[in-house]
Amino acid sequence: MPSEDTLPADSAAAPAAAGAAMHRPPAIAIGWTLLTIALTAFLLLPVLWLAAMAFKPDDVMFARPTQWTFLPTLDHFDYVISSGFLGHLFTSVVLGLVSTILVVLIGTPAAYAFARFELRGREDLFLFILGTRMAPPICLVIPLYLIFIRIDLLDTFLGLTLAYMTFNLSFYIWVLRSFCRDLPVQLEEAAMVEGWSRFQVFVRVVLPLLRPGIVSTATLCFIFSWNEFLFAFMLGGQAVKTLPVAIPLLITAQGVRWGEMAVVGMVALLPVLLAVFFLQKHIVRGLTMGAVKG
Amino acid sequence: MNPQTFRAPTRAALAVVAMMLISATGHAQSWNYKEAAKPFAGTKIRVLDEITPLQETMKTLVPEFVALTGIQVEYELLNHFEVINKGQADMLSRRGYYDAVMLHGFQMGQMLAANAIEPLDSFMKDKALMNPALDLGDMIEPANKSFGVFKGQTYGFVNWNYNMVYWARQDLLSHPAEKTAFKAKYGYELAPAKTFKEFLDIGEFFTRKSGQMLAGQPLKTDFYGILHEGITGGATLVSVWENLMKNFGGGLFDAKGAPAFDTPENVAALTMWAKMWQYSPPGQAEYSLVDVPTVMGNGIAAQAIAYSDFVLGVDKPGGSPLAGKFTYSGIPVNADFKGPRSAGSEPSGIVINKASKQKAATFLFMQWMIDKDTQTKLINAGKGGVPIRTSSFAMPVLGGANAAFYTAMKSTLAVAESKPKVPKIFEIYDALGPIVQQVGQGKLSPAEGAKQGQAKMTAICKACLL
Amino acid sequence: MTGAAVRAGQPTGGGADRLAIVPAGLPSGRRWSDSAFYPYALVLPALVVLVLVSLVPFCYAVWLSVHSVEFGQVGDFNGWDNFAKVLANDRFWNSLRVAAIFMLIAVPLEFVLGLAGALVLNQRVWGRSLWLPLLFIPSMMAPIVVGLLWKIMLAGSWGLLSVNVIERFGWLDGTSVFASSDHALIALALVDVWQWTPFMMLAFFAGRQALPESPYRAAAVDGANGFQTFFHLTLPLMTPLLVVIGMLRFIDAFKIFDSIFILTAGGPGVSTESPSVLAYKMTFEQWRIGESAALAVMVWVAFFVLCSVFYHLARKRLNAF
Repeated sequence: MPSEDTLPADSAAAPAAAGAAMHRPPAIAIGWTLLTIALTAFLLLPVLWLAAMAFKPDDVMFARPTQWTFLPTLDHFDYVISSGFLGHLFTSVVLGLVSTILVVLIGTPAAYAFARFELRGREDLFLFILGTRMAPPICLVIPLYLIFIRIDLLDTFLGLTLAYMTFNLSFYIWVLRSFCRDLPVQLEEAAMVEGWSRFQVFVRVVLPLLRPGIVSTATLCFIFSWNEFLFAFMLGGQAVKTLPVAIPLLITAQGVRWGEMAVVGMVALLPVLLAVFFLQKHIVRGLTMGAVKG
Repeated sequence: MNPQTFRAPTRAALAVVAMMLISATGHAQSWNYKEAAKPFAGTKIRVLDEITPLQETMKTLVPEFVALTGIQVEYELLNHFEVINKGQADMLSRRGYYDAVMLHGFQMGQMLAANAIEPLDSFMKDKALMNPALDLGDMIEPANKSFGVFKGQTYGFVNWNYNMVYWARQDLLSHPAEKTAFKAKYGYELAPAKTFKEFLDIGEFFTRKSGQMLAGQPLKTDFYGILHEGITGGATLVSVWENLMKNFGGGLFDAKGAPAFDTPENVAALTMWAKMWQYSPPGQAEYSLVDVPTVMGNGIAAQAIAYSDFVLGVDKPGGSPLAGKFTYSGIPVNADFKGPRSAGSEPSGIVINKASKQKAATFLFMQWMIDKDTQTKLINAGKGGVPIRTSSFAMPVLGGANAAFYTAMKSTLAVAESKPKVPKIFEIYDALGPIVQQVGQGKLSPAEGAKQGQAKMTAICKACLL
Repeated sequence: MTGAAVRAGQPTGGGADRLAIVPAGLPSGRRWSDSAFYPYALVLPALVVLVLVSLVPFCYAVWLSVHSVEFGQVGDFNGWDNFAKVLANDRFWNSLRVAAIFMLIAVPLEFVLGLAGALVLNQRVWGRSLWLPLLFIPSMMAPIVVGLLWKIMLAGSWGLLSVNVIERFGWLDGTSVFASSDHALIALALVDVWQWTPFMMLAFFAGRQALPESPYRAAAVDGANGFQTFFHLTLPLMTPLLVVIGMLRFIDAFKIFDSIFILTAGGPGVSTESPSVLAYKMTFEQWRIGESAALAVMVWVAFFVLCSVFYHLARKRLNAF
């Protein structure tokens, strides 16, 4: 089983082959490592700059030439909090959790069924699900917006949760199906031979085995809800304001509040950072929808 | 004395007393908000307005209306972009979440064509609802009527007289060394520009590179003579239209309402526009009407044309390191044009959503917002502001240190007219915005820009006025 | 199917992942999960939800697209009128051009850089499990935050890159990358490259790691050098993956909205107006609902066709999914 681990797996991957690998001077390893570090730093420089902006006083921010050192300030945080962005944060968390939980409850059985059973029109159904995931969001927003107005779902948690299903549910089913296919069928068959009903097998045998897959895919779904902008912007409103929506709101009459935007941007980044660290192994599989086995 | 002679004086006295009593009770029964609102006490209305320092001040006064009338008012402020999108969406979809929506002058055409605004005439004729002391004659004209009156019906009152003014760095214009050098080069005294020629001269004079001297100090970065909005969307086109084209005798439409973009007058105006950009910062094509005050406050330009309400956010203690160093005057005129002067403005107001279920209560609120008492309180609370009533200019707070500013504003408001009622205005703005920007950047010649603009406009509408 | 012992039902000989034992019919209602309906029951809630939130809006969009809609109020049926108007609108064709340029710049760059990065990561690198997640951050950030971030980096006159790189080396006549209609689209594509190269890198790295080791050992024994190993071994073995990931990225690049919205809003002019941005403006600024619905339907259908092709190709020919 491949892994993204470090040294041991690498040298194990090509032991005799490179006979040389083990005897390759550490200089080369240092070289590659430094290159990787440089790459990482280069890629992350803008993110670090954003983080710095969250603490930069306004007069330093626009300074020409660029001022590298400065006395940090918490003014931007103050403004953000006093402008009610904690509410945005709360909304994002609740919306993310609720939509993710719903997706897990509805999607897990479906994914399992797609993996295990011969369903009539299975390929077509699956393609339908793929289609919902692939559709450009704007194509969905337009009719959803008009429908929501008529049935009064605009600017409601229910409305936005439903809207998020369009991409999260299909994504979840796709990815979890590939996790399901990885599970050895024999376990279930053995249980069935023992006399367990298929449902019991599903709950007692399959679900526990699927847990890592469920957790990682659900986390990805949470991240997608967390990062989502267009639906929240158009289908939300005064009652339902998520964190990404807060960003254009910071373009005020007094100018663009960059420091505050940086604060919101960094806060929006946090769950992502955590998820990436804890779920490295499964993320790739999730994002490539099972095409690559983790 | 016999009883009859007694009765005459008594009758007269009784009559007088009766008349006094009647007029006294008549006074007690004269119109007031509380009485008028009695049938609506307890109802709730939602008002959508735009967020600027002005409306933020209004928000602090709204509780007074609530206390006065018992009508609950949810007064919501959104930024320029959102107030247009959300307001329109609510009105056009007939959702009616907002009872009253703020519309900019240019939006009126579209909303009227869609029949989304409730006319006010029936309310105005209702003696129980209409405040007899509203004194609409005091409203600044032509802004108010050009905004709210259409085909004989009234649809709204001006609430916000957004207007553009010319502003400049007084510290630079009054610097002795600069004045001497300017006089030597151009032959007249350095002062805030009154004409476009002066505007360009001052712009050229103050455009300098980093290292050169400015007001006795060497510059650390480049400095520019003219700052203006340049972004494709936004109000760039409006400024070019009202501050430049109309002052050269041109405009967007002819007298019949057909597109008239390709005219010699417009080409002349666009040529002036392109010249202005020569003295502007390289990032100007990105500046929105909100960026201009910020950039001016950062001190890299000598002159600008900007919306006055934003200026107040910068030219105040703590607003910018240069606060207090600015001066203002009206929009420059075209010395060669003998026609009526024009200046950029956007009279805007609150209208009643046709889908509202509380129209009468909303009408009361609208009146309250513009009545003399509220306006006086508003301007005092904001320590200044943009008046909608002529009588407001007499207030002491609009003078003093900010005298130049308010004089400039008055100059613009004297000729401020709301946009013509054009339903497809958004498409026209969308089409002409890039052209105007490219002419400014020098990517398109004025003549070519005029041609392209005309072609685009004709593709959108042949008779553009409602 | 006999009603006999359920447990020893008919084997279906299903595939490696398919259950080989299927219970034989519903025995006197004892175990509902043995019925033939069971699998459908599992799938039903998901299907209902998806039909509700995807199919219904699609049908509504189709319905709108064949009516004339004035300022949000639906009028008469007008057949293909709206579609014809969209196709005659040169902003529509411009948006396709914008999408094409964007995709053709961004995706190949992401692909090549991602592959190169994956190969680097595949070498002896210390602390890889630390660098990998860090490298992945751009791909997991909210696109709107990515847009914001680059707005800050490239802001005219004070952005970090604007001042220290663009201005210093005089690359542009003006510091404003996003204000220049010639450069804005390229800048947007480069932002996309910054955001998605890590994703490609990681996908390719995982794919590389999943490859069997024996061919490589054999190659080493045969004395093959790095280049030969890469071109004759790695590349062919990874082709299915490369194609799938590449197509995924292509499809996603067409949909782009968030970062364009915050960075240029389709401007300057219409030089960065992607199809999504155009649809947004048509709907929420101009309220040409009939036409924007037609646009949405056309894009949707095109996408669906594209995805079917992609799916079948990937599955049958390349063994993905």
